[in-house]
Amino acid sequence: MMAPLLEITSLSKHFGGNAAVSDVSFSVEEQRIVGLIGPNGSGKTTLFNCITGYYPASSGRVWFSGRDVTGMKPDRVCRLGMVRTWQRVKPLAGLSILENVMTGAFCRTRSATEARMIAHEQLRVIGMENVTQKTAGDLPIGLKKKLELARALATGPKLLLLDEVCGGLNNTETQELLEIIRGIREKGTAVVFIEHDMKAVTRLCDRIVVLKSGKKLAEGLPSEITSNPAVIAAYLGTGYSHA
Amino acid sequence: MTKQWAGIAAFAALAASVPFFLGDNPYIADILITMLMMASLASAWNIVGGYAGQFSFGHAAYFGTGAYTTSILLTTSGIALPLCIGAGILAASLIALLTGAIVFRLRGHYFALASIAVAEIVRLTAHNLEITGGAQGLLITDITFGNLDLNSKEPFYFAMLFLLVTTLAISLLVRHSRAGYFLLAIREDQDAAASLGINLYLWKNMALIVSAALATVAGSIYAIYIRFIDTSAVLSLRLSIEIILTTIIGGVGTLWGPVLGAALLVSLAEALRTNLAGELLVNSGIITEASPIESFLKNNLAHAHVLVYGIITVLCILNLPKGILGLFRRKQRT
Ligand SMILES: Nc1ncnc2c1ncn2[C@@H]1O[C@H](COP(=O)(O)OP(=O)(O)OP(=O)(O)O)[C@@H](O)[C@H]1O
Ligand SMILES: [Mg+2]
Repeated sequence: MMAPLLEITSLSKHFGGNAAVSDVSFSVEEQRIVGLIGPNGSGKTTLFNCITGYYPASSGRVWFSGRDVTGMKPDRVCRLGMVRTWQRVKPLAGLSILENVMTGAFCRTRSATEARMIAHEQLRVIGMENVTQKTAGDLPIGLKKKLELARALATGPKLLLLDEVCGGLNNTETQELLEIIRGIREKGTAVVFIEHDMKAVTRLCDRIVVLKSGKKLAEGLPSEITSNPAVIAAYLGTGYSHA
Repeated sequence: MTKQWAGIAAFAALAASVPFFLGDNPYIADILITMLMMASLASAWNIVGGYAGQFSFGHAAYFGTGAYTTSILLTTSGIALPLCIGAGILAASLIALLTGAIVFRLRGHYFALASIAVAEIVRLTAHNLEITGGAQGLLITDITFGNLDLNSKEPFYFAMLFLLVTTLAISLLVRHSRAGYFLLAIREDQDAAASLGINLYLWKNMALIVSAALATVAGSIYAIYIRFIDTSAVLSLRLSIEIILTTIIGGVGTLWGPVLGAALLVSLAEALRTNLAGELLVNSGIITEASPIESFLKNNLAHAHVLVYGIITVLCILNLPKGILGLFRRKQRT
């Protein structure tokens, strides 16, 4: 059997006495969409930060594409093919939308002409081809989130880590975005999808991992997760009202 | 971008024809050479400070290292002039690399602080060594280069112009290449930049070295032009600050901002130095010669140009975040 694209083993991250992530293991196969859910403060974003090299893990290992990437710098992780978006968006505020996405595209080409082509293509995929010249900092939050996605995609990733990309989008826009993410997977990119909207997660994801207080509470198919009593007690009760 | 190249070409052609109209006017020539020099320095600073957003408060160190290295080699060895300038570039790049290699491992304002510290170390070293002439400074005599008349101003006007045009061309090339996008990304958001595969450490160092190398050449040309250098002229914190203010006032992160800033500030400094304001007031009959106001202006304004720069900078930062250039292109992007 082929090794999974991403494999996390016993990952922990402590901030002083606070165990933001403790002993979490799971893996992501190629071309899969894995949902990562859990109440506020359960460690989802911290997990992303550890996987992509923003925080050093306290213990545990991260394997990507058959390589040990634990402790590797974020830029190297990205060049290996794993890219993340930000829950608190980080647009290159003074640059145009096109320039933002081109910056991502330069991860796979040196040529500005080629980067511009890739950027236009990604912006078309995401449905932002009509606003390419707007300044990124001036966009409403929904568009900033979509820009994050387009920019990350432009790097040509094998694995995309999405941290609440649907935030700030209305229902129709969320549906559109889920379609886009399915399309991304069709083209061969695996996705880890952090989201509070349970409907979106169960409809989109092949598997779901549930975190609670930094620990893995459950993992399984969407149907298994939504009927898991522990999950319902810990998360769905509040999660549904949250969504 | 084609428009920008045309702009640089037009500027080069226009500036190159100025000496022919000007004839032999050493006073104006001197001001123009200073303008070109400050424009080159500000433009060079803009690559690391404006594009990459890494504020160097010690660019005088590179300028001064160029000036000293070139002068010392010229006066003590038989090495040809271009090689002496090359040696200056090498020496300053080494200082830049040492600074960057250590400080760019850290985020935050460490680079700004370290750049001041390094510049002060370079200044104090030059001040205390024998080979640099110490506090007395260094006199540069008997220099020849081909059959150029190094006693006239013209070769230096063209040398500074060549440096400025080269700096502008490099800036434009960088800005629209992969490197430029990386530098701007670093300026806008370092976490986001890293998440897109950009090696922050590598690209900050690249920007600093290119910027430092260009500033060095300005120092070398200046030393041969002035024929006398000391630490207060070529290694002072004041010069470092003037370089930054020139860029900020003109328009930081833009191609022409540094040039505009230099034109304005050098003119302003000259006006203050010659007490233009006092003269104008006297000539227009508002105040009389030797009146208290006139003597106050005469005695104080001449030394006040850094203060005046500072006030203009504060006004610019508060009202014109994109510099004076930003006034003309509110809607357009660079
Ligand atoms: N840099 C940090 N320093 C200290 N504590 C932190 C830091 N980052 C996160 N934490 C803590 O780690 C825990 C997990 O936070 P995290 O942001 O990962 O949760 P989350 O699951 O992403 O929550 P949300 O759904 O609100 O985004 C929280 O208790 C948080 O306060
Ligand atoms: Mg989070």
